[in-house]
Amino acid sequence: MKKLIALILTAIMLISLSGCSADNQPAADKAEKSVFKIGAIPDQNAADLNRNFGAMAEYLSKATGLQVEFVPSVDYAALVTAFERGDIHMAWFGGLTHVQARSLVPEAEAIAQRPRDEQFHSVFIVQKELNVDKLEDLKGLSFTFGSESSTSGHLMPRYFLMEAGLDPAKDFEGAPNFSGSHDNTYNLVQAGTFKAGALNEAVWEKAVAEKKVDLNKVKVFYTTPAYYDYNWTINSNEYVDKVFGEGTRQNVKEALLSMDNDQADILALFQTDKFIEANNENYQAIETVAKKIGIIK
Amino acid sequence: MKKRNYLTLFLTLIFLMSFASVGWSKNLFHSGGSSTMLQILKSLLNPNLSPELLKLAFESSWITVAYAAAGISLALIIAFVLGIPASGVLTESTFGKWMSFTVFRGILGFMRSIHELVWAWLFVAAIGLSPYAAIFALAIAYGGALGKIFAELLQTVPQEPIKALRSAGASKLQILIYGYLPQALSNMVSYSMYRFECAIRSSAIMSFVGLGGLGYQIQLSLTELRYNEVWTFLFFLIVIVSAVDLWSSLLRKKMAEAAASRLSFVKLSTVALAAIAAASWMFIYIAEAASLLDIFNAKNLEHTKDFLSGLLGIGQAEPAFFSLESWKNAIRLAAETLHISIIAIGLSAAGMLLTVIPAARNAAEGTLTLKRKWYNWPLYLFTSGLYIISRSVPELVWAMIIVYILKPGILPGAIALALHNFGILGKLCAEVVEDLDLRPVRNLASSGASSGQILVYGVIPAVMPKLLSYILYRWEVIIRTTIVVGFVGAGGLGQQFKLSMSWFHYTDVTLILICYLLLVALVDLFSEGCRRIIQ
Repeated sequence: MKKLIALILTAIMLISLSGCSADNQPAADKAEKSVFKIGAIPDQNAADLNRNFGAMAEYLSKATGLQVEFVPSVDYAALVTAFERGDIHMAWFGGLTHVQARSLVPEAEAIAQRPRDEQFHSVFIVQKELNVDKLEDLKGLSFTFGSESSTSGHLMPRYFLMEAGLDPAKDFEGAPNFSGSHDNTYNLVQAGTFKAGALNEAVWEKAVAEKKVDLNKVKVFYTTPAYYDYNWTINSNEYVDKVFGEGTRQNVKEALLSMDNDQADILALFQTDKFIEANNENYQAIETVAKKIGIIK
Repeated sequence: MKKRNYLTLFLTLIFLMSFASVGWSKNLFHSGGSSTMLQILKSLLNPNLSPELLKLAFESSWITVAYAAAGISLALIIAFVLGIPASGVLTESTFGKWMSFTVFRGILGFMRSIHELVWAWLFVAAIGLSPYAAIFALAIAYGGALGKIFAELLQTVPQEPIKALRSAGASKLQILIYGYLPQALSNMVSYSMYRFECAIRSSAIMSFVGLGGLGYQIQLSLTELRYNEVWTFLFFLIVIVSAVDLWSSLLRKKMAEAAASRLSFVKLSTVALAAIAAASWMFIYIAEAASLLDIFNAKNLEHTKDFLSGLLGIGQAEPAFFSLESWKNAIRLAAETLHISIIAIGLSAAGMLLTVIPAARNAAEGTLTLKRKWYNWPLYLFTSGLYIISRSVPELVWAMIIVYILKPGILPGAIALALHNFGILGKLCAEVVEDLDLRPVRNLASSGASSGQILVYGVIPAVMPKLLSYILYRWEVIIRTTIVVGFVGAGGLGQQFKLSMSWFHYTDVTLILICYLLLVALVDLFSEGCRRIIQ
């Protein structure tokens, strides 16, 4: 009997091993390679992102003749890592993730952004009944940022808090929380879990327009000065032109910049009416702030 | 005996001091915490049972089980390959013994010192987001744990049959196959089953590095504040974990029985387990389209090299581990992590001690205190139910829920760990009470002792040493896990680990891992010393 068990245990192991060594990979591999994968930082809830970027992938497929697919990712850093590995060919990054990606892939390039991304803002929100109308009033309240890698949900709000003389590590009620995304931030403040938070202005405006947030419970009390944020960053030649053919980077860029009224539906999902040219230099200021705060060394 | 009491007193004091040093001055809940807790509890009563969600829950459950089964089957291979040499049964020379004890034990110890989720995170950075990141992580952490136990089991088998084989001229390999393995097999199987149960929980939390399954769904629903869905997924997890638990205890019981009656069940279980493992690998290979050989390609080699040199700080101006400032910070965080672990084990031990008597079957049956009360059975069912729920939910998931209720800091992490370990300790210790030799109790009863007196003079002194060593043993596990609850903002080394990974500060990651390993080794040493005093 015991021999039988030992035999079967060995069999399990052999099956496990053979299960992974059978090799019919090349075909699947090729199909894999010819898909142009786009990604996005998961700054909003997954369902919205799938809808928005699914539509964008469909448009890009038509416009460029590539087979474009949206690959969701769970956190900001995971997307940056996937981009570095060349698993993602083009990504919708925030300012900070763009800078991080470029430090890992120097040849990566910001190619397009929305007009609003040149003049981006974060909003600070608080529970309505609280008597808060400037950043200094946040002292002693519980506070939540978005993702730790977010520009508009963490980096810039932290910077403006520091400018206002607050130390996020000490001045709140307990350490600040990282909610993970902008949607989570307003949900948590509305639910009363945290008294105050900071998030991306665009997400806030959309939540207000779609009535996802109850303005009787939450109010905006401060909007930051403008800074550069989101953009489409395309990967290096090694992962794009060399794989999909010469000129692919340029084609994708043109496909994005040429979106107009015919693609109004898709553009609306991104809360814009067009994409304009972007470039790496715009993000110098973000890099400086990130270095000052210690996120980039 | 004396020594043991002093030790108990000493450990209790440490716990009380740590407990007192938490910043209690302010309110424990954050301002919106109690209303959030109410919302969460309310949705417990109406979990979302819509067909679409149930379908999703079944699919995610399968992913979770498949990763766990694949991870454990690799872990078993690792455990045999490293555990047999680590046991030293194949070697006779002093050098061989030395090799087996230091080298192989060292490797196994290192593998299991690092929590599987940390391994997973490192693998994702090296080989990208593939099911194998999770599977390798499980295989390494559990291979280390299983290997160590296998080695110990092989060392402690009765020697007579071995001597008989040797004198009959059997080769070393023959002695291993016909002497050592058959004798240790039953314990190996039951320990592997126990580990399979743990692996299901671990596999569920692999969502934190971006792999699907129940944990991923729980995380999604939780961040979107859909608590009624959270409960649905939690129920699925609880059912799976309890089912495997039940299966493994049945299997253990049957294997201990006489040969004739157990055959069919053991055989059936073995076949079923093999089928699960095979189906899991097929699922990963076909449905998830992840081939094991694909992992070992030039690109991954390049990235792994980059990642490792990043960890080692090659070419960097100021690696964190050469900076005094970073060391200071890391040591402060290590102390915080230790603090969390002490509060966690203290709380779970206190909870366990308060509930363990009613949770023992013999107390429910009335044989323990020789008094039967109507409330014994309901109380037994209630406490053992609590244990099941508490231990089925991984500490990380508890932590994710608790950071919504309690202020960020040391306590949420400690309470999350305590909640999970309360159930584990409770179950282990209730079994100790159940296995108690009841003769002294009867003697006490016949000399007229009350139930209370029986407990204080008969039961508690008899079970205390075992309970204490279980508590110490769980503390060793908790210290490894403390880093993980930090991922969701519960403080300590874990939080810094996550931030450093997100910000690509790899030399900081190395420093944190060094401190983490030192801390784990220190706690292991201390706990081993204490357990030696107890025995």
